[in-house]
Amino acid sequence: MFTLLRDLRRLRRQLDLPHRTGSLAIRHCDAGSCNGCEHELTLASGPHYDLSRFGLGMVASPRHADVLLVTGAVTSRMSAALRRAYEAMPEPRRVAALGDCALGRGLLGSPDDILGPVALVLPVDLEIPGCPPTPDAIATALFGLLASRPTGPGVTVGRPLGSADEQPSGARPD
Amino acid sequence: MSEYRADVADGLSGPATFGALYATGPVVRTVLIGPDGSPGLISAPVVEGSVPSIVDLAPAAGWDEREAADLYGVGFTGHSPMRPLVAHGAALEDWTVRVSGHDAYQVAVGPIHAGVIESGHFRFHVVGDRILHLDAQLFYKHRGLQAAAEGHRLREAMVFVARACAACAVTNAIAYAHACEQVLALEPPSELRRVRTILVELERVWNHLNDVSAICAGVGVAAGNAAFAALTERARRLNDALTGHRFLRGAVQVGASDLDWDASVVRRAAHQLDSVRTDAARAWRELAFNASFQDRLAGVGVIDAGRARALGVVGPAARAAGLDRDERCNSARLSYDGFAPAVPERPDGDVRARYEQRALELWQSFDLLGRLLDRPVTASRAEPGPAVRVPGAEPGDETGIGMVEGPRGRTVCILEARDGQVKRLHLRTASFANWPAVAAAAAGSLLPDFPLINKSFELCYACVDR
Repeated sequence: MFTLLRDLRRLRRQLDLPHRTGSLAIRHCDAGSCNGCEHELTLASGPHYDLSRFGLGMVASPRHADVLLVTGAVTSRMSAALRRAYEAMPEPRRVAALGDCALGRGLLGSPDDILGPVALVLPVDLEIPGCPPTPDAIATALFGLLASRPTGPGVTVGRPLGSADEQPSGARPD
Repeated sequence: MSEYRADVADGLSGPATFGALYATGPVVRTVLIGPDGSPGLISAPVVEGSVPSIVDLAPAAGWDEREAADLYGVGFTGHSPMRPLVAHGAALEDWTVRVSGHDAYQVAVGPIHAGVIESGHFRFHVVGDRILHLDAQLFYKHRGLQAAAEGHRLREAMVFVARACAACAVTNAIAYAHACEQVLALEPPSELRRVRTILVELERVWNHLNDVSAICAGVGVAAGNAAFAALTERARRLNDALTGHRFLRGAVQVGASDLDWDASVVRRAAHQLDSVRTDAARAWRELAFNASFQDRLAGVGVIDAGRARALGVVGPAARAAGLDRDERCNSARLSYDGFAPAVPERPDGDVRARYEQRALELWQSFDLLGRLLDRPVTASRAEPGPAVRVPGAEPGDETGIGMVEGPRGRTVCILEARDGQVKRLHLRTASFANWPAVAAAAAGSLLPDFPLINKSFELCYACVDR
């Protein structure tokens, strides 16, 4: 086990990782992906990118989350669960759409089974394109969200789910 | 007994095994696969909305019949109760097995899971920590890809197959390409066979590395998890360097390959694979001497040879139970001359056996890749060959059946074509074949062991839901 830990320490030293402050708790939700975004997201938390080292942690419940990270086009069978996960999140909350399917680009499937992009169901704050986005692209995009995280008061608690074009509440530096 | 059931029973009483079952609307077809990997079709016309069920003859057909019932509205006489599989929204008692008794209760998990995991719902029937039964409700990610492919030209429909699953992108794509090439009377020359074999072995390497990482995560061994995650990253970077895509997507086409790797590219790839292999072997040894980790694997989630055979388990999970079936032995359209399946030392069918099987197959894949990457790869095209007629296919039907041993086992792709277009596409992936075994392995185990059991199979949801 010491060998493994030594290898990992060496790997970390070799990587040129940026210095960041702050944190975001991220809840992942697969709304109908091909599993590619999940595999890349998993590696974004792996030793090469190590999101948790920069305060970006995956949490087990939407109730603990600042960000809902959604992968895949929203299927008819996942839309209700996706909405419930969003409704369970405390304010301020953000939604990030991960991957081309989540952004509605090049969708494939039957219209009966696929509703469409995440923005049809939830207000999307961050778009991370790619099929799938690399762990590097995922990390870079989430670092951007970290830099622009909502601060201060002006937050309504328990805001009901709005229409797709409605922006989430909470002050956002533009 | 109907003619259809008699034919299926006759086939299964010999050396043939169940391969797949699918509906087209007016007809239900069963694919049986001979010991040499040759498929045959047995068809039953749908009469007054029903066909006889074969689930008593081939328990592995259970999910196939449930899927056909939901998607095509076919009734299966004798399959009772017919629980919905793809169709959601049924009352709980209609899709779960009734479990009652003193202290028995249910634990509902998902469709959204606690980690970075695909969506699916599990309903555990437990007493205390002991799982009595597991009902899995998948198909949350059903995108209707097979139906959407219908009517497209054969070459264009590849995108639907490739999109089914990223983790099995090459396996599914090659199975589809083989089916198309049978219909188009094309034969892959040796160079095309070689490049496709390289691709599917690269897919196996990154998947097996990922699986070992996942098993470590399943018991909370962070160092092992991180070490193999780092190796997975290196394998995916190599995929990207070779094909421009980290999941090798788009590298497989119907009837051709555009990949062109000169001597330096091939040499560099072989060198990188060597270095990944060395580090993987070192990390593997570290885990072998971690007693508290190893103690968690033995005797957990057992699927023995008898149950594996009955449930139609494929791939490393089947071989870990002592079944030496590996479709690579029968892959005339790929470069596996002289291949023999890796046989485990302890074919106990438990988590440890499945974990150790991954390593055996990893070393085997590195060996294969070392041999296959001994010279540059050039672009190649399939050549006209003899038309392949699938036994049992109706005259005039253009039917092709492709089979590939992917990282999780045998994937079967059935294509029915007409006028160069997809009439019906059915992708029965290894994950589809093995999901019922995950539920079976969970029964009798402890609830906290389920993540470990699940990871020891490491099946895709996307491949099943499609």
